[in-house]
Formats: sequence, C-alpha cells, structure tokens
Amino acid sequence: MKNTLAIALKELSGTFKSSKATIILVITISVFNVFFYMIIDQNREAALRDMFKLMEFMFVFIIPILTMEIFAEEKRSGTIEFLMTSPITNTAIVFGKYLGSLAFIFILLALTGVYYGILEYFGSPDRTATLAGYLGIYLEGALFVAIGLLTSSWTRNQLIAAITSYVIIFALYFSITFVKQLEGQAMLEVIKYIGVWNHADHFFTGLFDISSLIYFLSGIGLCLFLTRISIENRL
Amino acid sequence: MIFTKNLSKSYGWTQVLKNVSFEIAQGEIVGFLGPNGAGKTTLMRILTTYLPATSGKVVIAGHDIHQDSFAARQNIGYLPESPPLYLDMSVKDYLKFAGKLKNIPHRQLQIRLDQVLEECAIKNVENLSIAHLSKGYKQRVGIAQAIIHNPTVLIFDEPTNGLDPQQILQVRNLIKGLEHKRTVILSTHILSEIEQMAHRVLILHKGEIVADDSLPNLLKTSPSLENTFLKLTAENPVIVL
Repeated sequence: MKNTLAIALKELSGTFKSSKATIILVITISVFNVFFYMIIDQNREAALRDMFKLMEFMFVFIIPILTMEIFAEEKRSGTIEFLMTSPITNTAIVFGKYLGSLAFIFILLALTGVYYGILEYFGSPDRTATLAGYLGIYLEGALFVAIGLLTSSWTRNQLIAAITSYVIIFALYFSITFVKQLEGQAMLEVIKYIGVWNHADHFFTGLFDISSLIYFLSGIGLCLFLTRISIENRL
Repeated sequence: MIFTKNLSKSYGWTQVLKNVSFEIAQGEIVGFLGPNGAGKTTLMRILTTYLPATSGKVVIAGHDIHQDSFAARQNIGYLPESPPLYLDMSVKDYLKFAGKLKNIPHRQLQIRLDQVLEECAIKNVENLSIAHLSKGYKQRVGIAQAIIHNPTVLIFDEPTNGLDPQQILQVRNLIKGLEHKRTVILSTHILSEIEQMAHRVLILHKGEIVADDSLPNLLKTSPSLENTFLKLTAENPVIVL
C-alpha cells in the first residue's frame, strides 16, 4: 500500500513537473469557461448537464495525451527494470500508476466545482443530479485513463500508445453515431451497450444507474487486469 | 549467497543460456566476462528476477527467486546496463523514491539517504535534476539506488560502460569500497576491469560457462587474462580448463 502511494505521488508530481499538466489544465479550463458562459446564457437553466457532455468530449482527446507515457516511457528509458526488480508486486505498480493519473483527473474536475458554486449562488441547481453527473464524468475519465494505461503498457513508443488509445476510445465514444444505420439489427443492442455514451448520459441526467456503474467498473477492472498481464509478460 | 543450477533461457527458438550452474560465496566479488551477446545481461536479468528463466533454479541469500521472489529482491541491489533514472526528478527525490519502493522504514530513510549520498560522493548534486548530471554522476546515482536498502548482493551490468577514464576510476573505487560488506557480481567486456576488481571470473560464451576460476588460477594457465579470454571465446572454442 505504501509503495502504491509512493508510485502514485511520483506519477502525479511528474505530470505537474512536465509542462503537460499546465497545458492540459489551461486548455481544458479555458474551453470549459467559454462554454459554461455560452451554455448558461442559452439554456437559462441552473444545471451542468451540457457541461458534463463537453467535459466528456474533451476527455476523449486529452486523456490519451496524459496517459501515453505512463509505461511506454518507463520501457524506453529502462526504468521499468528498476520498478520490476524492486520488492513490490506488479499489481502495486499498476495501481500506483493508475491512482496517480486518477488524481490528476480529480484535480481537473475539482477545478470545475467553481461552476457549481456559481449556479448555487444565482439559482437552485439539483444537487443530486449534479452529484450523479460528477460521478458519471469521473467514472468515464477513469475508464479512459485505464484504457490509456493499458495501451501504454503495450509499447515503448509514446505515439503508438496514444494512437492506439485514441482508436479504442473513439470506438467507444463515437460508436453511437452508427446506430442509425443499424436500426433493427441485432448488433444495435450490443453497440449500444458497449459504447460509453449511453452509460455516461444516464449519470448526466441525474440517474444513479447500477448497470452503468457496473459497466464502468468492469471496464476499468478489465483494463487494469490486462495491463498487469502485459507488464508481467514484458510485452 | 548466490546459487544457480541448470539455468536455461530461450527466446523463441534461440537459446541464450544453456545449463548455467555456479555458486558464489558471501563477500566474493565475481566478474562475468564475455563477448557481446554472450548472455551476460540475460543472466543478470534472471538473477534479479526481471526475466523468468525457461528452466533451472536460482537461490539468492537463501531465497528461491520463484517461490520467494520478494525476499530475494529485498536482498538484491541491481544496476542495469543503462542506469534506471527518472530524468525529471532531483537526485534526492529519486533516491527517496527508490528507498520507499525498497521498503526502508520512514524513520531510517533520511539516514540511509545521507549515507548513500556520502558513500557515492553525490552529496554536492543532491538537489540537482538528474537530467543535468554528467554520465559519471548518473552512474553513481544508479549505484546509490542499488545500495540504498543495504542489500547483501549487488549486481552491476557493465558499470563503467561509456565513462571517461576519470569517471571509470571513480566508479571502480566506489565498487571496490562496497566489496567488504557484500557479494558483488559485475559484468563487463573490459578485461582490465576484471583484473583490477574481481576475485573470481566466470567467462560466458554463447550462453555457456566456459571458465569459472579465481583470477590467479586463470592467469597460471596462460600469460594473460586476455589470452585466456580470446582462446575461450574464439568461434570454435578450445576449452582448456
């Protein structure tokens, strides 16, 4: 446990030491700010639902950039040998790395708490719905991070890691757009379930949907499990 | 202290280690010698549990590396061929991180840190980012992370590779200073290094041990270590021992 935390802290401070964290935070928060104004101005509704959809869209693009180096860089520079010959389990390594990135997503989302504060000050937003929305967006971010972690463990090249996770995340996120062409086919239900869009939307509308919760948690569990196998086999 | 029996390793169809068996006693300093591609790095990676062997047995400080991997790792300090450093960290932060991963209790961490900074002569760069260090300093930081948890076995893969003569001297002196307390294995293809540092030499060629003897004994049978080495690692080796 102590080792896992040491790795997580190292990972998080590493993200902030590189300019990557600053760039990601500045870009996403700036975009959020602009859209928050536009959404509130247009909707005239004290809800963050459309903000969550925007955050989701941004996550699709920024998370692979955040996660691409996690294992790929360790492999390229040879530090993976140091980690894997230390007296710690591979599970602790995977969890430590994962927690470090999750903490970054948490910080990013915590910064958007300001929007909720503004809504609370000027109106009376639905607290439960907002909480569900935050849970949904955090779970979705956590799933994307787990996918990024997995693809990063497959290669020593950061670019390949990023592109592979883009392919997987795009498939999960944009699959919903093909649904119209598949009307009436058996594939439709499968795609609807595998795609991330529906599940996240349940939370954004204020529903604590158990089946969607299971979808996210099992997706995360599967990715972490595969990552562990991948580093164990020195892929 | 280190015991291996019938160790073999294959990558697909290529066998890189063939039935390697040896025993190293406590306090011994042993040089692995061999041409490039002889299997030195693979052997060291197996000893340090980084790679699993295809077959065979390894026991380090009384712990089987398969059955009791963590206890074995706790007793090993390993410096891979290129020092495993996080360039964005400062020397001090990196060594603290290494200490935490190697289960040094919180209270002792600062004490051990000061000791290794002193021992490896890197106190003056402790706050610098590793990216800014010269190769010689990087190598010493690599050695510092290997010894921070006071392991009984040290495994160094080509510790002086790519250093200038002055840096080589510093690293050699550092390793020599470690030998009294610990068992040391170092691999190299630089013969003079073995002559200056090791008590015993294991010569590897095409994945097999072709010589295993003390340095004076090896020198008895031939005029120089170089001579022995060249004879044993020729394309059709003549085994003289």
